[in-house]
Amino acid sequence: MKSKIGVYICHCGGNISDYVDVNKVREAVKDIEGVEISVDTMFACADSSQKQISDDISKKQLDGLVVASCSPKLHYPTFSAVAERGGLNKYNYVHANIREQVSWAHSDDKIGATEKAIKIVKAAIVRVKESVSLKPIEVKAQKSIAVLGAGVAGMRAAKELADLGIQVYLIEREHFVGGRISQLDYLCGADETGKELVTHLYEKIHEHTNVTLFTGAEVIKKSGSIGNFKIQVKITPRFIKNECNRDELLKAIEVCPVEVDDDFNFNITKRKAIYRNYDSEYPQKPTIDNKNCTRCGECEKVCSSIDFSQKEEILDLTVGSILAATGFDPYQPKEGEFGWGIGNVVTLPQFRRIINMCDDKLIYKGKEIKDIAYIYCVGSRQVDGDNKYCSRYCCTATLYTSILTHKKYKDIHSFHFNRGIRTYGKQEVIYDEASRLGDIFLQSYEYDPPEVTKLNGKTNVKIEDILTSGSEIDVDADLVVLVTGMEPRNDCSIGDVLKIPKGRDRFYNEIHMKLRPVETVIDGVTIAGACQGPKNIMESMNSALSAAAKSYSIVNKGELSLEPIIAKVDKETCVWCGKCAEACPFDAISMIKENGKDIAEINLSVCKGCGMCLPVCESNSIDMDGFTDLEIESMISVLAGS
Amino acid sequence: MAKINPKFTDELKKYGAFDTNACYNCGHCTAVCSLSTEDDSFPREMVRFSVLGLEENLKTSLKPWLCYYCGECSETCPRQAFPGELMMTLRRWLTAKYDWTKLSGLLYKSLPVSITFFLLVIAAVIGFGSYEKFDTEKIMHLGHYFEMFSIAGVFAFILLPNIIRMWYFTIVKAGVKVKFVTYFTKIWELIVHMFTQKRALGCDDNQLRWFEHLILVIGYLSLLFTTVVLDWFGTESTFIIWLGYAESAVIFIVTFIFMYERVKKSKELARHAHPSDWFFVIWLFLMGLTAFIVRIFIDADLIENNLWMYLIHLTVLVQWALIIVPFGKWTHFLYRSFAMYFDALKKIK
Ligand code: SF4
Ligand code: SF4
Ligand code: SF4
Ligand code: SF4
Repeated sequence: MKSKIGVYICHCGGNISDYVDVNKVREAVKDIEGVEISVDTMFACADSSQKQISDDISKKQLDGLVVASCSPKLHYPTFSAVAERGGLNKYNYVHANIREQVSWAHSDDKIGATEKAIKIVKAAIVRVKESVSLKPIEVKAQKSIAVLGAGVAGMRAAKELADLGIQVYLIEREHFVGGRISQLDYLCGADETGKELVTHLYEKIHEHTNVTLFTGAEVIKKSGSIGNFKIQVKITPRFIKNECNRDELLKAIEVCPVEVDDDFNFNITKRKAIYRNYDSEYPQKPTIDNKNCTRCGECEKVCSSIDFSQKEEILDLTVGSILAATGFDPYQPKEGEFGWGIGNVVTLPQFRRIINMCDDKLIYKGKEIKDIAYIYCVGSRQVDGDNKYCSRYCCTATLYTSILTHKKYKDIHSFHFNRGIRTYGKQEVIYDEASRLGDIFLQSYEYDPPEVTKLNGKTNVKIEDILTSGSEIDVDADLVVLVTGMEPRNDCSIGDVLKIPKGRDRFYNEIHMKLRPVETVIDGVTIAGACQGPKNIMESMNSALSAAAKSYSIVNKGELSLEPIIAKVDKETCVWCGKCAEACPFDAISMIKENGKDIAEINLSVCKGCGMCLPVCESNSIDMDGFTDLEIESMISVLAGS
Repeated sequence: MAKINPKFTDELKKYGAFDTNACYNCGHCTAVCSLSTEDDSFPREMVRFSVLGLEENLKTSLKPWLCYYCGECSETCPRQAFPGELMMTLRRWLTAKYDWTKLSGLLYKSLPVSITFFLLVIAAVIGFGSYEKFDTEKIMHLGHYFEMFSIAGVFAFILLPNIIRMWYFTIVKAGVKVKFVTYFTKIWELIVHMFTQKRALGCDDNQLRWFEHLILVIGYLSLLFTTVVLDWFGTESTFIIWLGYAESAVIFIVTFIFMYERVKKSKELARHAHPSDWFFVIWLFLMGLTAFIVRIFIDADLIENNLWMYLIHLTVLVQWALIIVPFGKWTHFLYRSFAMYFDALKKIK
């Protein structure tokens, strides 16, 4: 029970004192038992006032502090720091909000406002009396980090962390690194191709002793908490020996009789069951696609490096933090959406692969392509569908693609059926270039999209063009390119394993879009790249480096201090009904045996102090440090009393 | 439903326009144009039609003729798409479309063809001179006849059919219903615009140019009258002689100022002049100047021994009457006036 409490009541320069009689409030609380001093001040947050308060604490040996002022959102951190400067444990500070909750809300009733302010300050005083000093919880942190996804974001983050001396486990689900960027040859605004970029990053990672790369690997289980995550990694075999013969392997690819759609080329070509996506791909070993391999044995006949005896492995790793950079999937148009399925209609990613395959003439399905209609925002900014967001990269990517076709082939005409071009920032010059090359832009509203039809063997695109006062305009195109946006990975099981919450757009969600853009509510798990939402390469890199820095800051000291406002179990009364464990959204509660009795135990570094477990406990065995029943009940009795 | 023709801007480039595709439809040009109105909004719409290659929409539009090329829009355009230049280009293109002989288009698009035509005229005049054994009296007499017949011929066989074609495109094809009597009640519009070009006054900062233009039109028409009807080169009347001197002087002085401006490129409109614009002013200047000198030669009794001077004048005259008037920029004078007339017809509901 605290007995030397300092109470400070702020005028907020009239914001409070114009409606609340601050003097009266001070008078009303000054004689309460335990209140050592009570002061009213013009601006409690002013430097001089802060100094006064901390001096009072140390000189008068105060053991509790109440500041009645504005919202705790604004100045709780300020005054708890003042308390600490005066030598007081910050959990012995209670903030009373008499501005947002009183003066601003009741400016029409000064007497009532003053009465309410008195009650709120009194409640704060009784709470501070019952408050206990708390110490941050110290936990050990592993100096290793798991980076999930070896696309450009994941590889860049891995390299950065490795340079900082952290042991990095780079875990890639595919058998090759590079993710989506390796599917791009030319990159807008860069001299390198996507493949070169990937090679470049891979080489950096490869030479680093701090990075261990797992391909064909997936995290299937996670336990533990920030500083000490235990993860289980399932590694699927490649069926190729470590020491392998390149020429024989190429032969093996040749003889394999199984042909399936090549998803690297978005199904416009075929590949074998033993395959690699392109020559310079890393790791420089093909893999056998277990799903489609018939085990016919043809490859084994020509190649000694094949090894069908390889087994799936499970690996246990302990890491201090997890950085997820698992990327996106391109939107897959629905049957009939903008002519999808009528032939001569492809998606932008497919078109990029087609351009890659055609050298001096643009040929698709045996026909030369001259007139290209691009339809924008397919699968983004949907009126009816779920994808309300703009995919950000596609306007620029499309215009860049169009410029590419003009440079590579002759007599190309591009028609851009858009809903407003969003080549933001420096990318505006791409728009400028395309427009001066003679590209034609047609614009419609979201509720009036262009129509694609097959007319007398020609693919026709029609629009009510708002730039031509809504007139109906159409063009016959040799090829229609659907500018498909980004979607969250279809298989997002990793998010479920890690329990990363998703936003309304179904991408992984950060804590705060602006202030904490790479952290998730799961302490110790950060996100980077397009798994968080549509991003271009530069933005992915920015977030990868930022997430790397954040993850690094968690593990670099080898220990962590955590907020001590957490739940605790009364071992005497707990009878382990398990209801709390069910209620806890963070899996912080588990059962342990103590003295032959089953009881609940709370993992200190996982509990977030949300309080969900408290009301479900029938034996009332759980209490919350910092918000104990005693504190809350004493406040209620003051507020409810007359 | 209109089909896009992406190749159309390439065609327009031959008539002078450039970088029309840079337009991003901001509408600044239309906002600053002091002649654009809510009913007749331009030039953005014309830029848009051109970019999309909607030839029908352009062919049936009178808007290009409503622009007097102050250049304000081109100066304002944030994309340097030169909308004013495009309007000028469309006028050339329309001239070519109205012309049933298709010679206009040929001359506009190709400088070599134009030069060849001019050279052919020179050869023909010299040939004619030698055929007539350089008999001054006879040649000047026939020259006077040429003036009369060329005016009548060009009007009857070229200009009139072309005006009818223009009427067909912009009124009939455009689907405008006009009552027969309206054609008469509105004829006043035609006369006023033809002689005063009063619409150009609507352009900001354009008073001086309009004034120069007005003087030029009056000077030109009255010189035409003086030479053709009053037979300036043959008359004995002192009044007519001095009238002719004054008129021809006005023409070459004003055109000289025009050319001077063009060379100095002081004005936006002068910055992108097309060869056809040059031909127009230069030939007008030469007409005024050579007529002036020929009359001096006559008064000084020099012409008998210096027939070459008259032949030069005749060459200029023939080039003017057979090339520039029917197929060149001269027609603008006519089409513009008719455009105002047709526009007035359209507005009657
Ligand atoms: S970037 Fe452009 S094409 Fe992509 S969703 Fe946004 S507006 Fe549409
Ligand atoms: S307070 Fe919340 S996070 Fe902590 S154990 Fe209880 S329910 Fe779980
Ligand atoms: S040149 Fe002048 S009159 Fe012609 S469209 Fe532009 S602003 Fe209007
Ligand atoms: S000002 Fe230029 S860019 Fe804007 S609408 Fe006119 S021509 Fe187009």
